[in-house]
Amino acid sequence: MKIRVAKENCTGCKLCMQICAIQHYDEINPKKAAIHIDAEFPDPGVYTPKLCVQCGKCMEACPVNAISLVGDAYVIDPETCTDCGICVEVCPFGVMFVHADAPTPIMCDLCMKCTEVCNTGALTVVE
Amino acid sequence: MIVYLRSGGKLHELLKPDVDQYTRRVETDEGATLVEILGELGIPLAMVAFAFVAGKVQKLGYVPSEGDVITIQSPVAGG
Amino acid sequence: MNGFGGTIVRINLETGGIKRTPTPEKFAREWMGARGFVAKTIYDEVPRDADPLGPENILIMAPGVLTGTFAPAGSKIGFGCISPATNGHADSNMGGHLGAEMKYAGYDMVVFERISPEPVYLYIDDDTIELRSASDYWGMGSLDLEKRMKDDLGEDFQIATIGPAGENGVVFSCITHDFGRQAGRCGVGAVMGSKKLKAIAIRGSKSLPVHDLPTLTKSTCDIIQRTKTHPLMEPWQKYGTALFVGWSNDHGCFPSRNFQTTYHEGWEGISGEKLAEEILVTHKACFGCWINCGKYSRAHIPGKPDVYVEGPEYETIALCGGSCGMTNIHDVAYANYLCDNLGLDTMSGGNTIGFAMECYEKGIITKDDLEGHELRWGNIDDFENIIRMIADRRGIGEVLSYGTKGAAERLGQGTLAFAHQAKGMEFSGYDTRWYSAQLLSYCTSDIGAHHNRSWAITADIQIGQDTPEGKAEVVIYLQHIRPLFDTWCCCRLFWGEVDVTAEEHVDTIRYITGWDVTLEECMKISEKIWNLTRSHYLERNGGPGRRFDVAPARQLEEKVPSGPAEGHRVGIENFEYMLDDYYYNRGWDKNGNPTREVLEILGIPYVADNLEKAGLLGEPFEDGVPEVRGRRLKPKAM
Ligand code: SF4
Ligand code: SF4
Ligand code: SF4
Repeated sequence: MKIRVAKENCTGCKLCMQICAIQHYDEINPKKAAIHIDAEFPDPGVYTPKLCVQCGKCMEACPVNAISLVGDAYVIDPETCTDCGICVEVCPFGVMFVHADAPTPIMCDLCMKCTEVCNTGALTVVE
Repeated sequence: MIVYLRSGGKLHELLKPDVDQYTRRVETDEGATLVEILGELGIPLAMVAFAFVAGKVQKLGYVPSEGDVITIQSPVAGG
Repeated sequence: MNGFGGTIVRINLETGGIKRTPTPEKFAREWMGARGFVAKTIYDEVPRDADPLGPENILIMAPGVLTGTFAPAGSKIGFGCISPATNGHADSNMGGHLGAEMKYAGYDMVVFERISPEPVYLYIDDDTIELRSASDYWGMGSLDLEKRMKDDLGEDFQIATIGPAGENGVVFSCITHDFGRQAGRCGVGAVMGSKKLKAIAIRGSKSLPVHDLPTLTKSTCDIIQRTKTHPLMEPWQKYGTALFVGWSNDHGCFPSRNFQTTYHEGWEGISGEKLAEEILVTHKACFGCWINCGKYSRAHIPGKPDVYVEGPEYETIALCGGSCGMTNIHDVAYANYLCDNLGLDTMSGGNTIGFAMECYEKGIITKDDLEGHELRWGNIDDFENIIRMIADRRGIGEVLSYGTKGAAERLGQGTLAFAHQAKGMEFSGYDTRWYSAQLLSYCTSDIGAHHNRSWAITADIQIGQDTPEGKAEVVIYLQHIRPLFDTWCCCRLFWGEVDVTAEEHVDTIRYITGWDVTLEECMKISEKIWNLTRSHYLERNGGPGRRFDVAPARQLEEKVPSGPAEGHRVGIENFEYMLDDYYYNRGWDKNGNPTREVLEILGIPYVADNLEKAGLLGEPFEDGVPEVRGRRLKPKAM
C-alpha cells in the first residue's frame, strides 16, 4: 500500500501533521510529524504535502543499518539508530524530518492515519 | 419519479430524512420545480438558501430529473 | 496546565522589558481564552481616560483553550485593546496558524504595553523572545512584508503584520496573517501601529499537554468521519462564504451602493460561483479545519499587475463589492488585495468607501477633494485612488480615516443618516431594514456593528421579519453563543453549518483540560464578558447606555426602494420597543445600564462597584431581576 498525494487538493490544514504526531508520539505537536506541508505564498499559492516516497536511499546510507524495509515501508529501529543524521542529509526529497525532542529522525511508516483525517482528497491510499 | 433531498442543520428536522441520516427519498411528478417539491414537503422557502446538485448551485426554480441528489441549504453567516 | 501553553508574557515596548509569569489556572478557567482574557485584562488595566492610540492603551494577543489542540478547527487567536474606532472595548479574532504556533511556543497571552521609540517586531522562537528592529520593514505592505519575513526568518515562522494604514493610525486598520487572514475589526492594526510594532513572528516546537489524548483523538476523528458526508460539506468546501451572495440578494439584505438598496443589480458577476469559475487558485484552510472556507484567488485586470489574495469572502464581496457598486469579481478581488496589503479591514474599508461614493454622488465630496480623480460607483481605479489616500491619510483620506461616523461628524451635511455604523464601527454586509433582529444585534453590540456577535437573519425569518416582538431574547442568546467561539477559539462554522453541537465542543474542552465544565458554565462566562465590556464602554464614554445604542437613520426611516425587501424599514417605534425588551431581558435598567443584581450573579461585583462610583449603575428592579434571564440558554424561537 502507498499514499497518493494530490497536492492541488491540499488546503494546508495540517490535520495530517497533528494525527501523525499523535499516532507516533502520543503528543499534540505537529512539528513531530512525518509529513509536512510546504506553502508557497503569495505566488503561486500552492500547498505541497511532503512525506516519504519509499525510495530506500536512507537505508543504503545508514552506517549502522538501523533502517530496514518492513512490509511496504522503510522504518527506523530506535534501538540501533545513533541519531547521526546521515539519512536526513541523503534523503533526495527532504522528507526525513528532525525534531529536537525526538530520539531519531522522523519518517513515514505508512500507518495511513493521515489519509483518514484528510478531507480534501490530497492524501489517499492506493494499493 | 424519484429524487433525493439532503440537508443538515435546521432544515434537517423539517426534511425528516428516511434513507440515511441526511437524506430523504421523495416521489414527485416529472417536471415539478424544486419550489413545488419543497412546498409539498411543507418546508418554508425562506429557510432554503439554494440547492446544490451535482456540484453546481441551482436556484429553487430548478426542475430535477430522475435520481437527482439535491442538497438544500439554509442561510448562514459569513466570517 | 492541560490545554494551555502555561506562560503569559508582558512586553514593555518603551523599555524593552520582557516579563514572563505562569498562566494562573483560575484565570484560564474563569475566562477561557482570547476574548475573555482580553476583556478582563483590558478592563482591569487600562485607565479610563487612556487615548486608544496613546501609550496607556495596551494591545493583547491571546489564543484560547482550544487553539492548537486536536479540537475541530482550533485555529483562532484574539487581539484586543481599546478601539480607536469606538473608544470602547475591542476584540478581533482570526484564524490561520498563528494561534497554534503561539501555544506550541508555550504562551497563552502576550501583552504589549507603552510605545516603542523605534519600529520593532516581536520575535518568538520557543523560549527566545526578542524585540528586533523593524526599521527596514516600516512602510511595507502587509502581504509584501509577510513574504519578506518568511524569506528572512524561515518558512516555518508564523507571521502577523500591519500595513501602512496601521502605521498611520487609520481607525479601521487590521492585523494580517497567513497571506489573507485578518484580525480585521475594531482597529486593532491602528493600535499596533501606534505602538510602533510592525510585526509578530512566532515559531513553536513544544508539545501541548492535554488531559485525555486518546478520548480527544477519538472524538475528533469521529466528528471528522461523520461530517465528511454532511450534505453541506461540499458546497462549503467549494465556494466558502461567497456562496451566500445570491441568497442575500434574493432575500433583500445585500448592501448595494452604500445600503441605498438591498438588491444589487449585477450581483451574479460577484457571486461565489463566479469566484470559483474565474479566479480561484486554491482552497485554503485554517489550522485543523476540514471545511476550508478560504478561497485563494488571482485577480486579473487589464492594465494592472495580477494580484493574489485570499478571498474575496462574503463580507468583502458585500462591502467592497455591492456597497461600492462593483459587478466584476476581478475588481472585488483586486479591491480585497488593496485593503489587505495596505492593512485595512475590507469590511469597514468597503463600507467607508461606499459611504464616500454616496457623498461624491451627492456632491458633498468633489474632484477637488480627490486630487482630481472621481469616485464613481463600481470604478476600481477610483476605488484604488481613494483607498490609497485613506491609507496615507492625505486630503479627504484623512477625513475618511476615522470611519463613517468620524467622517460624517467632520463632513456634516446630514451624512450621518447614511453612515452605516453603530458606536463608530461599520455594519457587516447585511442591510437590516427587513431584518429587525439584525439591526438590534448591530446596535446593542459591545464593539459596534459586527455580525460575529449576533447574526440573526435566519431568526428574523423564523420569527417574522417585520415584527419587533420576540427579537430581543434571540439576539441575547446569539450574543452569548456566537462570541463564545471567539473565547474558546475554535471556528464557529462547524457548529453553524455541519451540525457539530456546542455540547460537543464543550466535551472537547473537558478532554483537553480535565475541567468538569458544562455548556451552561460557558454561556455564563460569555454573559459575564458581555456585561464586563458593556460596563467598560459606559465607564469610558459616560451614560446612559441607551444613548449609544442608536441606529443609522436610513435603516429606521427610509424604505428600501427596490428588490425583494422593497417598502420595508424598521421604524423608530419598533426599534425602541426592541431596545426596551432587550434591556429587560438582559436584566439591565431602562437606560441600558447593567444592574448590580446581574453583575453579582455573574460573579463580577467589583464591576458594579465601579459603575456605582461613576454613577452609571442601573436602577435596581423592584421585584429582583426579571425571570426571563433564567431562559437565556436557548430561546424557543431558535
Ligand atoms: S490533511 Fe490533507 S488537506 Fe490537510 S494539510 Fe494534510 S494533506 Fe493537506
Ligand atoms: S502514513 Fe502515518 S506515518 Fe506516514 S505521514 Fe501519514 S500519519 Fe504519518
Ligand atoms: S471554516 Fe474557514 S474560517 Fe473556519 S477554520 Fe475553516 S478555513 Fe478557517
